[in-house]
Amino acid sequence: MPLDTSTYILAHLRLDGRRWNELRRLQAQMSTQAAADGSSYFEMGNTKIICTVAGPQEQKSGGGGRSQQDKAKIEVEVNFAGFSGMDRKKRARSDKRTSEMQHTIASAFESTLLTHLFPHSTITLNLHILSQDGSLLAACLNAATLALVDAGIPMTDYISATTVATTASYADKEEEADPLLDLNGLEEQELPFLTIASSGGEDRVCSLVLETKVHMARLEPMISVGLDGCSQIRGILDGVIRAHGRKVLEGKVG
Amino acid sequence: MTSLKRSHATITPTTTLSSKTYLRTLKSGKVQKIVRELYLRQDIPCSSQLCTVCLEQQASGYHQKAAPFVLSATPAATKQFPQGHYLIPDTNAFLNGMDLFEAEGAFTDVIVLQTVLEEVKNRSLPLYHRLIALTKNDGKRFYVFFNDFRLETYVQREAGETINDRNDRAIRKATAWYNEHLQQAASARKSVRCPAVVMISDDRDNIRKGKAENVTAFPLRDYVSQLPEADKLLDMIPERSSTRDGKAELFYPEYMSMSAMLTGVKAGTLHQGIFNVSTYNYLEGSVHVPAFDRQLIIQGRENSNRAVSGDVVVVEVLPKDQWKAPSSKVIEEDEVNKNENADNEDESEGIVTEQERRALQEEVKKTHASGLENQPRPTARVVGVIKRNWRQYVGHIDRDSVRGGSKNGQAQQTVFLIPMDKRVPKIRVRTRQAADLLGKRVLVAVDSWGRDSRYPVGHFVRSLGELETKGAETEALLLEWDVQYRPFPKTVLDCLPAEGHDWKVPASKEDPGWRGRRDLRDLIICSIDPPGCVDIDDALHAKKLPNGNFEVGVHIADVSNFVRPNNAMDKEASLRGTTVYLVDKRIDMLPMLLGTDLCSLKPYVERFAFSVIWELDQDANIVSADYTKSVIRSREAFSYQAAQLRIDDDSQQDELTQGMRRLMMLSKKLRGKRMAAGALNLASPEVRVEAESETSDPIDVKTKELLDTNQLVEEFMLLANISVASKINDAFPQTALLRRHAAPPKTNFEELSNQLKVKKGMELRTDSSKALADSLDTCAEPANPFFNTLVRILATRCMMSAEYFCAGTLSYPEFRHYGLASEIYTHFTSPIRRYADLEVHRQLAAAIDYEPLDASLQSRSKLEGVCRNINFRHRNAQQAGRASVEFYVGQALKGRVLEEDGFVMRIFSNGFVVFVPRFGIEGLIRLKDLAGSERDEVDGVFDQAEYKLEFDAVGKGKRTVELFQKVRVKIEDELEGSTGKRKIKLGLV
Ligand SMILES: [Zn+2]
Repeated sequence: MPLDTSTYILAHLRLDGRRWNELRRLQAQMSTQAAADGSSYFEMGNTKIICTVAGPQEQKSGGGGRSQQDKAKIEVEVNFAGFSGMDRKKRARSDKRTSEMQHTIASAFESTLLTHLFPHSTITLNLHILSQDGSLLAACLNAATLALVDAGIPMTDYISATTVATTASYADKEEEADPLLDLNGLEEQELPFLTIASSGGEDRVCSLVLETKVHMARLEPMISVGLDGCSQIRGILDGVIRAHGRKVLEGKVG
Repeated sequence: MTSLKRSHATITPTTTLSSKTYLRTLKSGKVQKIVRELYLRQDIPCSSQLCTVCLEQQASGYHQKAAPFVLSATPAATKQFPQGHYLIPDTNAFLNGMDLFEAEGAFTDVIVLQTVLEEVKNRSLPLYHRLIALTKNDGKRFYVFFNDFRLETYVQREAGETINDRNDRAIRKATAWYNEHLQQAASARKSVRCPAVVMISDDRDNIRKGKAENVTAFPLRDYVSQLPEADKLLDMIPERSSTRDGKAELFYPEYMSMSAMLTGVKAGTLHQGIFNVSTYNYLEGSVHVPAFDRQLIIQGRENSNRAVSGDVVVVEVLPKDQWKAPSSKVIEEDEVNKNENADNEDESEGIVTEQERRALQEEVKKTHASGLENQPRPTARVVGVIKRNWRQYVGHIDRDSVRGGSKNGQAQQTVFLIPMDKRVPKIRVRTRQAADLLGKRVLVAVDSWGRDSRYPVGHFVRSLGELETKGAETEALLLEWDVQYRPFPKTVLDCLPAEGHDWKVPASKEDPGWRGRRDLRDLIICSIDPPGCVDIDDALHAKKLPNGNFEVGVHIADVSNFVRPNNAMDKEASLRGTTVYLVDKRIDMLPMLLGTDLCSLKPYVERFAFSVIWELDQDANIVSADYTKSVIRSREAFSYQAAQLRIDDDSQQDELTQGMRRLMMLSKKLRGKRMAAGALNLASPEVRVEAESETSDPIDVKTKELLDTNQLVEEFMLLANISVASKINDAFPQTALLRRHAAPPKTNFEELSNQLKVKKGMELRTDSSKALADSLDTCAEPANPFFNTLVRILATRCMMSAEYFCAGTLSYPEFRHYGLASEIYTHFTSPIRRYADLEVHRQLAAAIDYEPLDASLQSRSKLEGVCRNINFRHRNAQQAGRASVEFYVGQALKGRVLEEDGFVMRIFSNGFVVFVPRFGIEGLIRLKDLAGSERDEVDGVFDQAEYKLEFDAVGKGKRTVELFQKVRVKIEDELEGSTGKRKIKLGLV
């Protein structure tokens, strides 16, 4: 059994050797699936995701689509590969956590996508989780941003997301609690954490999920560090998109 | 408060990515493959105060605080390293020699590698925690170096390389890096002295490879022998079992494998429980397992198979023809195996010595003969140990085990340590200081108990001082009962209010301290405590209301105002759990400044309090209850006696005295109601040691007397505790911290009720606490008033102990406090001296919306941990207190010969136990002493069914002793030849 998060205090080093404010290695590619309208591959450490976008396409008749006639409906489907976790197991489609994630992702993008441009239509996001090592929801949001850009769906801004934890729970002094940015799977299991997503340069929070108990006093530093992380990720996403755009343009020209 | 709009400078450090892959086998047998990222970096400091490079590039945490560098620029020098040295021990060095590393004065400036820390954690969690504690000890200068995260010291496991080899290589590499790094640092500072870096390892191969790589390395033993005081330190290294001869005879059966045991327990063929050894017979233990109503008996060394009292063991029930009645004989280890030699194991006759076999044999004969009355009970044998509960043991060296010729020499030899705790077998210890240690109180740690050793093997930790001296004996009993007695560290004292003794309740009501507090300074409040009490927890008042009812207030010191959750002081208090009262010493839970001044509800000054205020009607029924933080001013601090005098003095008609009379009247009604509900009036032998004030030498022993005012205070404390308990349980049904007292199982009383029936024709009814209380009242003899107390003392011993628990863990009916006959109960009234009360204060403050509840009090698992610890501390504190009284009673009796009345409370076939109420002592009288026999055991004619023993007393002819009989005993103290220890000895007159 390796050390756990309680050793952070010894040298301000996390379980994988990072400092409190360091992101894991991020890698991303766009247009990975030629058949999809938009697609991306995204890695945050060992969390690896493929995202494909279909649409906007005409809404299938029937179903409960009546209420959203005037704008496009965003549908999200998250699939876990059997080998993605530590145990090889199949998740039920109707898994509660999964449907909650899908809902969170859909409502986050409703705030940035210009869905009113596509009445009577649906935008479907498919997220395939290849490997899980923490910050899953955040990685999904980042991957989806890239795929949506690739699909050419108009949006007001990117959504970038990350997670923040606070060290060693309640047992320590307030002054000793550091917020930790971008958690891996182990840290997520041991520490109270939140997922935060923002869009736009002005730190607009478009999604904030907190499922564990956190001391009130620690919330503010956590959000502040989280927004900071989001803007770093935004920079990285922007770099990926611009590089991809350049390549596409070069391809067109050439 | 930090502002939301704050940009955190993002350093993009130079990290290199690597990954670590390993397999993990789960308990279920499943194998998981785990892949982890590793970010290798170069900004992990070496933490040597010599180094400036690391200091410059050190990264800071969120709070911009950088850790100070730990390792001294001028570490300790030895013969071999005159320039000073840092140590890098490997895993085994810590596992084997933790006591050494903890020793004061040696082993400073130690680098604990991450690789090592991780391995220590895998091998032993307790040792890991001790190591972590060392890294937090400023004086020791232990530094954890995360070598696996530093680019230069990271080592990738090679194909075919075992994990151990890889880790050894990592340790060597880190050592080499430190060496080079320090040399650079030293030359940069133009310093002459560059400390050596020494690797400590007992692995020969590792040392050899180290030599080849230019790493200075020593085995632990060799390193220690270079140090000053080497003799003392060498004793602290445990004996490696492999150093004994391979051909050694195996005394004990092998343990079953862990998985076989778990399967057996699951299937019901084996049983798991805690092994307890009888205080009267060291060869007999018992285990309580869920499957049996009564305890399983484990007789003899072979069956107890190296289990030590307190271990969690797995047992197998023996076939029915081997079942036995519990022993009716006293067997003490130092009596039976008096002359054994600690050194030569091989010549002995096997696991059971001849004397032991004889003692046991007689046992068997007896039980077969005695027949019906004492039916055989299931016996069992230990097949394995799930968890050892070894701690450090205090004892003294067996004089007879020290080899004659070397009594003055320095040669290493093996001696026996006889633990103070009679249930623990003697421990074999190798030492060079045998001569010095004779006649001293010695602390040892047990290392192992192999199949080839009749006794456990341990090593010397330290000497506490001369036997029988106050200092050594007090420290010994504090260690035995695990009482934390060191002075409060600076971090704790830093949490105290800066004003110190000048702190005052703020004059202005605008002050934040007054927020939410009621001003109760007008109330005529007083406190009633034992004489000389300085930590006054509680104060009371009673006022007549216009409607004829009474307003009664219990005001408790507002400790939670000063001890904020989770600061260093709170952590220390939670660890200590309770204040421990010894005869001449008090070991405080909280620093003196709080306990005896700022929190203490001293008279004539304003103090913060937490008040419970009831409206009670004429019959002491609660009309309403109110809880509030307050400011009070106590008018007087009474002793029980002074209060009693004042109440009884009719000439006193002031409001204060009237208030006390009202309290007295109400308390009697409350008590009446409680007794009617079936509250038990139990007794425990309590005596007080009167000491000379200057020298604190004991001069006399007195039994404690109870006044009505004692009961007055007690009744209102109970009322407050009960009221608060239901209040916090309503507010926090999952996490309220409560106290319960389980109803004792019927079987607990079987023996006592049979004894009463046979000897006195009395009946003890135990179906409810009410029935028990009533039948205890009937167990009285007019001619012999003490008899009733004796029965109550014996009944108390049949009870379960009360315990703290967390409300969410049990259902409401189980909350019941049996002894107090209350549905719900908690501790609220003594926050200065009990941690439970402090936590309850916090919960109550949150329940009345005074302040939000701290997160630590919302987590059930955290609270369960707190409960476990305070239950343990509470029990230990009681035991330590009792042991201290016992020691002082012994001191008071020193050199005196007295005759007193005693009562027979237990009978064995070769002796009986007498209780002397005057001194609260309980002592064994052996037949062999009465017969004047030096060596051999003497048995009388023992009628087990009638609890009667007939024997020949020297010079007095035939005598008979029966249970509950009143006897005249002679009390004297005696110097034991073999131990050099003083013991109280009882004799029949
Ligand atoms: Zn350095």
